[in-house]
Amino acid sequence: MDWIYKGKCWKFGDSLGIDGDVMPLRFALERELDKTILRDYLMAGVDPEFPKKVSPGDIIVAGKRFGQGNPHIQGFLGIVGHGLGLVAESIPRGSFRNAINAGLPFLTGCDGVGKDVESGDDLEVNFLTGEFNNLSRNITRQYTPLDAKLREIIQAGGWAPSLAKRLSSLR
Amino acid sequence: MGKTITEKVLSRVTGGDVSAGEIIYPEPELITVHDWYVVNFDKALKELGVEELYDPDKLIISTDHEPVAVSPQASARQKQVREIVKKYGIKHFYDSGRGGHGHIFPVEMGYVKPGMFVEAYDVHVTNFGAVGALAIPVLIEITEVLACGSVWLQVPETVRVNLTGSLLPGTNMRDVAQKLICDLGAECVDYAVVEFGGSAMPSIDIAGRHTLCNTPIDIGAKSALVEPDQVTLDYLSGRVNGPIDLISSDSDANFREIIDYDLNVLEPQIAIPPTPDCVVGVSEVAGRAVHHAFIGSCAAANLSDLRAAAEILKGNQIHPQVRFIITPGTQEIMSAAEKEGLLSLFVEAGAMITQPGCGPCAGGRIGGMADGETSINTGTRNDYGRLGAMKSEIYLGSAATVAASAVRGEITDPRDFLN
Repeated sequence: MDWIYKGKCWKFGDSLGIDGDVMPLRFALERELDKTILRDYLMAGVDPEFPKKVSPGDIIVAGKRFGQGNPHIQGFLGIVGHGLGLVAESIPRGSFRNAINAGLPFLTGCDGVGKDVESGDDLEVNFLTGEFNNLSRNITRQYTPLDAKLREIIQAGGWAPSLAKRLSSLR
Repeated sequence: MGKTITEKVLSRVTGGDVSAGEIIYPEPELITVHDWYVVNFDKALKELGVEELYDPDKLIISTDHEPVAVSPQASARQKQVREIVKKYGIKHFYDSGRGGHGHIFPVEMGYVKPGMFVEAYDVHVTNFGAVGALAIPVLIEITEVLACGSVWLQVPETVRVNLTGSLLPGTNMRDVAQKLICDLGAECVDYAVVEFGGSAMPSIDIAGRHTLCNTPIDIGAKSALVEPDQVTLDYLSGRVNGPIDLISSDSDANFREIIDYDLNVLEPQIAIPPTPDCVVGVSEVAGRAVHHAFIGSCAAANLSDLRAAAEILKGNQIHPQVRFIITPGTQEIMSAAEKEGLLSLFVEAGAMITQPGCGPCAGGRIGGMADGETSINTGTRNDYGRLGAMKSEIYLGSAATVAASAVRGEITDPRDFLN
C-alpha cells in the first residue's frame, strides 16, 4: 500500500462520538461490517453531505478524543471505505484499537494540528514516517508514526486479513 | 529505572525487557471464555480454516452466563458448546453445575497465581488481579489468541493506589470500590493497570480484593491487580501447587500516578443510573422505591457478601413489593453458604436462590425487570436495559445495602439494621 496520502483537508473539532457523530449507532447494533455500505453514512451526525464531498486520499483532521464513546468499529470502516486518512490530536484507547483493526492509516498524538489547517487545504501526509505537510500554508510537522507492528496490521488491510496472513505463516 | 508488576509480568512472558508503551505479542498462560462466546469463536475459527487451538490446555470455559438454559435456543447452544469442547479437546470445561462464575472459581481452584499473565474474552476477568495476576480482556480478538497464541498489546502504564485506614461499620469493599472509580475518574486510569497496595491491605481479604479489581475496567482501565502479600499466600496455600512468587513493583518504577486512598468512605455508596461511576452517598437516594433486588455477579457474590446480607435479613422478611434474587458466585461459595445456614435464612425471608454464575447481571435473561421498575443490586453495570426493559432503573450498592433495601422496599442505609 501507499503510505503517502495527498488530498484535501476535512477539519473537525474535539470529542466527535464514534456512535452518532461519525456513524449512526444502528450499524453497530446490526453488526454491519461492509465498508461499501458504511461509507455512505460517514459523519452523518455532523455533516450528512460529507460522503459526497470527499475523494480518496483526502485527510480528516480531528481534535481531541476522536471516536470517543463505546468502541464500535463501524465509523473507522466508513473512513477506510472512502480511502481517507486520519490525523487526530488524540483517539481514546478502544477506538485506537478499532482504527488499527479497520486497516486505517492514521496519526494520533498530533497536538495542535487543528491550528495548522482549515478545511479545503491541500495536505500531504506520510503515515509511514509521520511527516505532515500543509501545502496550502507551507507548514511542515513531524509527528510520531504508529509502531511498525501496528503498521503491519494496517498494511494487511486490518485485523481479519492480518490474522489470516499470520495463520498462513504459522502453517 | 525499575519496573511495575505489569512490566515484570510482560517481560517474563515475552522473554524480553519491556516497558510501558511498547507493542508486544505476549502469550497468556491462562485463557478464559464464557458459555455465551464459545459458539462465536468456533464460527470465527472455522471461517479462518483453523481446526486446532494453539494450546487447548490453557483454556478454561465456564458456564456462568446461562447455566440453567431458559429457552430451546439456549439448550441447543449448550449442546453445541459441549460438542465444540470435545472437538478441540478442551480439558478445563466447567459445564452447568460445575465451577460457577468464570471470574471467581478459577481463583478458588488454584488456576490463578501471582504474576501470571491471563487473557480472556470477558472484561471482568480483571478479578484475577485479586491474587496478583495480570488479566486482560481482549473481547473478539480472543479468536487470534486461541488460533495463534497471542494478540498485540501495548504495555500499559500503572496507576498505583495505596489504600490506607479502615472500613466504617456498615460499609464494605463494594462501597470503597464504587467510590474509588468515581473519585479517580476515567482520565486518570485510561488504559492503565490499577495496582493496589498500601497499609490497609492486610485487612482486605481475597473476596474484597475481587471487588476492588472488578470496578476500574468500567471506567476504561486496562486491568487491575493487588500486589500479592501474606493474605494472598495464606489464601493460596492448599489451592496451588509449586512455589508462589510474591511479585512487586520496584520502588523506582515509572508509575503514571501514585494515589493514597482512605477506606473510610463516610457512608455506604450507591451508583445511580446510568453508569457505575455515577456514585453518591446512600443518604442522597434513600427512600426511593424498589421492586427488584439482587445479590451476585463477579463484583459481589462471595461468602462475605452473603454473610453481610444474612446479618440484615435475620429475623426480617423481604418487602411484599420486592422480588429478591441471590446468586452465589460459585458452587464452593453456595455449598459453604448452605453449611452456615445462610441459604435457608434467605429462603425463609422470601428470597430466591439461583444456580451459581452471573445471575440476572448477564443481560437480564433471568430475573429481569419490566418498564417502570427499579432495582437495587450488586451487579457490575447499571446501563439502561442491563436487566431487560430499557425504561427500568438500576442502582448499585453493597450486599448489605441491597438486603436492607429489599426488606424496606426502598433504598435503605444498611446501618439502620445494625446494632
